[in-house]
Amino acid sequence: METNNSFSFHRFTMLCKQSFIINKKLIGISLGSFSGMLFLILLGNQSGAHFNQWENHDYLGTFVFLFFVLGIIYTCLSFPAFRSKEKSMVYLMLPASVSEKFTFELLTRIVLYIVLMPLLFWLVANIEGIVVHSFMPELTNYKFSFRDGFLTIVKNGKFEFWALILTIQGILFVFIAPFTGASHFSKSPLLKTVFTFLTIIAGYGFFVFLLIKGLDLEHIHSMNNHVLFLNKENALLFLGIISTLINLSLLSIAFFKLKEKEA
Amino acid sequence: MIQIKDLHFGYPRQQALFNSLSVHLEAGSITGLLGKNGAGKTSLLKLLTGLLHPQSGELSVLNHNPRKREVTMLNDVFLVPEEFYFPAISISDYQKAYAPFYPKFDHVLLDRILTEFELRPDNNLQRLSHGQKKKFLIAFALSTRCHLLVLDEPTNGLDIPSKSLFRKILAGSLSEDQLVVISTHQVKDVENLIDNIIMLDKGKVIFQQTIAEISQKVCFISGTSEDVEGAIYSEAVPGGYRMMMPNGHAETEVDIELLFNAITNGKKIG
Repeated sequence: METNNSFSFHRFTMLCKQSFIINKKLIGISLGSFSGMLFLILLGNQSGAHFNQWENHDYLGTFVFLFFVLGIIYTCLSFPAFRSKEKSMVYLMLPASVSEKFTFELLTRIVLYIVLMPLLFWLVANIEGIVVHSFMPELTNYKFSFRDGFLTIVKNGKFEFWALILTIQGILFVFIAPFTGASHFSKSPLLKTVFTFLTIIAGYGFFVFLLIKGLDLEHIHSMNNHVLFLNKENALLFLGIISTLINLSLLSIAFFKLKEKEA
Repeated sequence: MIQIKDLHFGYPRQQALFNSLSVHLEAGSITGLLGKNGAGKTSLLKLLTGLLHPQSGELSVLNHNPRKREVTMLNDVFLVPEEFYFPAISISDYQKAYAPFYPKFDHVLLDRILTEFELRPDNNLQRLSHGQKKKFLIAFALSTRCHLLVLDEPTNGLDIPSKSLFRKILAGSLSEDQLVVISTHQVKDVENLIDNIIMLDKGKVIFQQTIAEISQKVCFISGTSEDVEGAIYSEAVPGGYRMMMPNGHAETEVDIELLFNAITNGKKIG
């Protein structure tokens, strides 16, 4: 008999299997309808651009927009059991540890999405390209590649380490924030999360405004451009660490909310 | 098995529900948790299963603190809530999805109970009636072979034949090392089933005795107005009175409803 109360890989596998048995139909329907919707969106965008003006970076632009919008909606649906009292009871009474339930939710809502969504987009975009090309053989730019798309954005193909960390953490924040919101709010998690973060940002902005006014810091940058950071690298280092800490804090909040959840 | 000592609990912005509640329960019994509406029966069951957290006091279930919801406790405790949720899958899929979490799960027992309840493995859970869903949940709960089974109003929604079937199946499926706590306000449904009674009122245990202890102290008879004088408690019923008398008479079956009314009306049976 399993006596480990923290994390058991065997139990985690059972949790995955259980979720698959319960959601297999939903997963199939969602993947099918998502691919269909993606196909139609790409076709619509491409026809709007009269087909011949549709380049690789246009595909990428559509991808970036959909990646974030759909990702926020999807992660806001994390902890689906918390949407009703009856589901919460079943979920909380399920013999799996908090770490297992949390890891499962984190993997399926964020990691899996970040891995699978680009793959699915790449697949659908190329199928769509082939379909369009079969009707319009004169089109040559019908193949989509992430590599080529990103190279047009990052001209030299190189990122500084902390700039890369900051970018990754920024992307993760977009998903972790609604994930944490979904662990907290039972009803309308998306709206409540957006409202909460806007309130925090507005509050912080107001605080900074009062600080600058109160300490009369308005003209200080004219005296010294490097009051806060010695150079760009330091600024990136600072922001990279801060963004990592923010994301880790948000994940901890979600974990402890799950741990202390009542039904 | 269950040890509650000096427990305090209340919902936010409400009067405290339990003040200094103490209860002790051992394995090998079916305990009926009785109380008026709002007495805190469901809240107590949720505290036992870790779905609510007490403000203070000691609470131990199977030597675990329920608040921690440790897996070694969760796989040995099963709660049948009054209102429940099932995913839109078949009974056999539900069994595949949930049974592996319970190490002592008895698949043969589940098949037997499902047959008795006239449920088929290919039945889709969301297409079943409320009563059928409840029957399945009870069947699943018993098949887990958990040491502690917590049933909240288990007979609500069951038809008359199913209620007696429920009593028969429950009594026939338990082992000596199991404890069943049944919260109900339909006391007639659990008569001849429970062997221990706990009554809750105003956040306190006002009565806790076994059926055997009660039978030794009092008896329950029907009579006329002339017999009422010697009764500890009586109620008018069609054709006469139901009375709870000090035991000088032959041992009778415990009339739980009458006992409950007597105790909540302040009567004592020693």
